[in-house]
Amino acid sequence: MSKVWEIILESFWPLFTKGLLVTIPLTAISFAIALVIAVIVALIQYAKVPVLTQIARFYIWLIRGTPLLVQLFIVFYGLPGLGIRVNAFWAAVFVFSVCEGAYCAETIRGALEAVPYGQTEAGYCVGMNFAQTMWHIVLPQAFRNAFPALMNSLISMVKDTSLAANITVNEMFMTGQRIAGRTYQFLAIYIEVAFIYLMFCTVLSLVQKKLEGVLSRYERKDAA
Amino acid sequence: MSVLTVTNLKKSFGPNEILKDISLSIEKGEVVSIIGPSGGGKTTLLRCLNFLEEADSGTLTFDGVSYTLPSVTKKEIGEIRKETGFVFQSYNLFANKTALENVTQGLITVRKKPKAEAEKIGMEMLRKVNMEDRASYFPAQLSGGQQQRVAIARALAGDPDIIYFDEPTSALDPELIGEVLRVMQDLAEGGLTMLVVTHEMSFARDVSKRTIFMEGGVIVEEGPSKELFTHPENARTAEFIRSVER
Repeated sequence: MSKVWEIILESFWPLFTKGLLVTIPLTAISFAIALVIAVIVALIQYAKVPVLTQIARFYIWLIRGTPLLVQLFIVFYGLPGLGIRVNAFWAAVFVFSVCEGAYCAETIRGALEAVPYGQTEAGYCVGMNFAQTMWHIVLPQAFRNAFPALMNSLISMVKDTSLAANITVNEMFMTGQRIAGRTYQFLAIYIEVAFIYLMFCTVLSLVQKKLEGVLSRYERKDAA
Repeated sequence: MSVLTVTNLKKSFGPNEILKDISLSIEKGEVVSIIGPSGGGKTTLLRCLNFLEEADSGTLTFDGVSYTLPSVTKKEIGEIRKETGFVFQSYNLFANKTALENVTQGLITVRKKPKAEAEKIGMEMLRKVNMEDRASYFPAQLSGGQQQRVAIARALAGDPDIIYFDEPTSALDPELIGEVLRVMQDLAEGGLTMLVVTHEMSFARDVSKRTIFMEGGVIVEEGPSKELFTHPENARTAEFIRSVER
């Protein structure tokens, strides 16, 4: 029994650093790009830009209708067939961004539509144009509306990055698989890996709680 | 000199003709009320004047420049809106901005004023509507009457040539109507040009110089407020005034 604990303790640091140096950056970079994609795709639909709206709907339909794992395989194992070779980490960043972008686009579109249209009209009436009204008035309120759902997506993504092990990205889960294979402590090691994911996600949940308080400052009824 | 002249303005929503050939003119410093039953096109008229709705046809002359509707460019609309203010029935204060930020938003973003100068003007405008002690409050923390007064300050901030009021007291609790009407009366006495769609007959009769009675998408009757209220010429006008003044 003590040997198991020894293995668990020994592998904690290698696993944790992999999480810190690969899982977290992979999530952070992908999610940041996904948000940019999502805002653009959502605004295109909100403003009903001709042609681009149809392209946006097609993108969302395509991405949401296909498995993330299959998308990873197409990009990493399939594209080399066309002569396109991508480093495994960046292939994962690409797939995660594009995939999460589609889901978040829908979240943000819903949040934009939930902002009363009177806010936009008031923006126009003080002389602002569409872009200024979106930037200063509607998007900040939509972001507040979308925030819990976006945090959901982010937390989901932390765990989904484990799929990148399938395309040779040496992240936390793959490191765990290697240690487990070497030590035969499958149960212990995989529970340990799960625990570290849980730690990361717990931090995110705490951050969410804190930020929600800040973001909803303007909604509180008590005096400033 | 007239600030605003509209001729032959028409607007339909689908098969429903809401505005049938409206013509009116507002002089500088004039306070004009538009009264009439719901669904008569009063609000639509106001919204067409500020391009929140696109008119189907007509001419708009604003500050001496004539525009043929609806072929007005976005740039021209922007220019006209810079010289107008709009007060909504439901206030529509920017929910994510404080009272002061609501007033300074246009000054900073549209007129490119430095923040300090914008805030100085902003506080001055809030003082005019007796809201300077609530400058740092968010709309959710203000009563309806307070929100509407901030909305009036916001409309005043750009020193507009005219302010459109779209039923500014209709969404308010009865005890809050007075504070908003008092502010509007002060502004009227201060020489502000105002076009006010209202159900407040006392405001139309006692504060505005001229009253327009609209029904079924047409101007049925217009004239100096006192006369229109005491000796309406049109039978429908008389009936409407009788019914609301009961």
